[in-house]
Amino acid sequence: QHKPISGGSSGCQQGGCLTCSDYNGCLSCKPRLFMHLERIGMKQIGVCMTSCPPGFYGTRSPERNTCTKCRSECDSCFNKNFCTRCRSGFYLHLGKCLDSCPVGMVHSNAQRECV
Amino acid sequence: ICLWCFVRPSASGQGQSTAVCSPSCSCDEDGGADCSGRGLTSVPTGLSTFTYYLDLSMNNITELPAYVFKNFPYLEELRLAGNDLTFIHPDALSGLHQLKVLMLQNNQLKSVPSTALKNLHSLQSLRLDANHITTVPDESFEGLQQLRHLWLDDNHLTEVPVTSLRHQSNLQALTLALNRILYIPDNAFRNLTSLVVLHLHNNQIKEIGANCFAGLVNLETLDLNFNNLKEFPKAIQALPKLKELGFHSNDIAAIPEGAFHNNPMLRTIHLYDNPLSFVGASAFQNLSDLHSLMLRGASLMKDFPILTLTNNLESLTLSGTKISSIPTNLCEDLRLLQTLDLSYNEVTELPSFQGCGRLQEISFQHNHIQEVDRDTFQGLSVLRLLDLSRNKIRVIHKDAFLTLTGLTNLDLSMNALSMIPTTGLSSLSQLKLSGNPQMKNVLPAKNLPKLRSISVPYAYQCCAFIGCESAMRSSEETDRKKSTGAEAGEQVSMIMHCSPSPGAFKPCEHLLGNWM
Repeated sequence: QHKPISGGSSGCQQGGCLTCSDYNGCLSCKPRLFMHLERIGMKQIGVCMTSCPPGFYGTRSPERNTCTKCRSECDSCFNKNFCTRCRSGFYLHLGKCLDSCPVGMVHSNAQRECV
Repeated sequence: ICLWCFVRPSASGQGQSTAVCSPSCSCDEDGGADCSGRGLTSVPTGLSTFTYYLDLSMNNITELPAYVFKNFPYLEELRLAGNDLTFIHPDALSGLHQLKVLMLQNNQLKSVPSTALKNLHSLQSLRLDANHITTVPDESFEGLQQLRHLWLDDNHLTEVPVTSLRHQSNLQALTLALNRILYIPDNAFRNLTSLVVLHLHNNQIKEIGANCFAGLVNLETLDLNFNNLKEFPKAIQALPKLKELGFHSNDIAAIPEGAFHNNPMLRTIHLYDNPLSFVGASAFQNLSDLHSLMLRGASLMKDFPILTLTNNLESLTLSGTKISSIPTNLCEDLRLLQTLDLSYNEVTELPSFQGCGRLQEISFQHNHIQEVDRDTFQGLSVLRLLDLSRNKIRVIHKDAFLTLTGLTNLDLSMNALSMIPTTGLSSLSQLKLSGNPQMKNVLPAKNLPKLRSISVPYAYQCCAFIGCESAMRSSEETDRKKSTGAEAGEQVSMIMHCSPSPGAFKPCEHLLGNWM
């Protein structure tokens, strides 16, 4: 998900970098983009994105915007305590991924939600 | 009910082959099309009508014309982030009846495109963060009955968009962080009865209405960090399900009595970086889910907080106050305590911590303590770190450390000690005794077999640990030790570091104390 830099050096082909290095990709991002560290083998590559990858949520602050891992049972989340989509086998209810739904609700496998 | 609306032929199902794709994109078998970062200036043609996921982020699409997505009736997720979008035609999004996720963040929008959003009746997540939005028209979200997650952070809002939110009873998560909001009026979120998360951090909020959070009966997370609040946000009394509260980095000087009495489910409270001078003693009572409490610099606070029924506390930091005494029954409530930092107060006497059997770290640095009794630390077998430095301790009972078999770091520096008991300190690796001028005796090194670093009042005391001239002594000295039955285990272990280290001008012989 990157806008190619025109004329960037070889290590910084992806868009959004403010500073970058051949070896580690983006070291800092253009304003308002999220910095995410992707692991490729032993290496960590800095990537600048408009939204964090699945399984991570974005936190904005005046200084920088970072991606942080959601809880393990979430596929995607709004913050560390509020899931927006659950992993298989879990069902979403008011931001929580439950392995069984509250009384009075049933689980929908397609949506992975309590309905 | 319109049946075909709900049917999305799967990749391997009937209908047009999903191999159809635009040259500007890469498409997968499931109906996903990734056209991100391709320098596009308009929505590509030639994509399958069964596309359900379309990523157009990080391109140069600055405008969305009318009906541009009319060929995608099955689209569920549309990503348009990072396109410098300035204009969305009122009919640009028409036809997207099944759209659930719409990402418009990192664009140049100055207002919420309310007309364009009107008919997105299935929309659940709407991202409008990192635009230049100054206005939220009253009817902005009217058609969005399924909306659950709304991002409006990092924009130019100067007030809470109260009217536009008034129908959002299904909204569960809202961020208005990083805007320029100055004030939160009463009943600002009155109908958001399903809201669980509300982020308002990094605004300029100076004041909030006493009833501004009325109606938020399901709110669990409230983030007011990095604002200009001068008063404690008493409006939180309307939040019975609050679990996580943050108001650190504000200008709050006092936390009133009973501050959280209506928030019994609180787990974390972030309140550091406030010019706190007073904290009501009853503020933190009955918070049985609270795990950590950190209060620094409440300089006028005199009374130790009442912590009855706040009995799941694992970490308590209370420093920089005028507290001079600690309840003797502290450990009756705090059985699960692991870390206790009561440094920089005016405590004169230590209670017994016998009931706090899980304590791992205790710091009473910089208080007015004068002695340590036999029972003070009895039974704390997992205690690793004990800092009693910068007090006025004259006497430590000989059995005070008897049961501290797990202690590795002991700091008794800057006190008034003449000797210390070492029985029980078999695991000690770091000992600080400097700044005890009355302590002139040689310390029994054999009781401290695992010691690796020690600081002592006088250089000659290091000789017992680092065998100053022993390096020059002949081997007879070593044989003499063997003949006196010093078992291998008791042999003085070589200390890695001892200060002040003896030398030519600080010989090992005791010459009227340390005269250099």
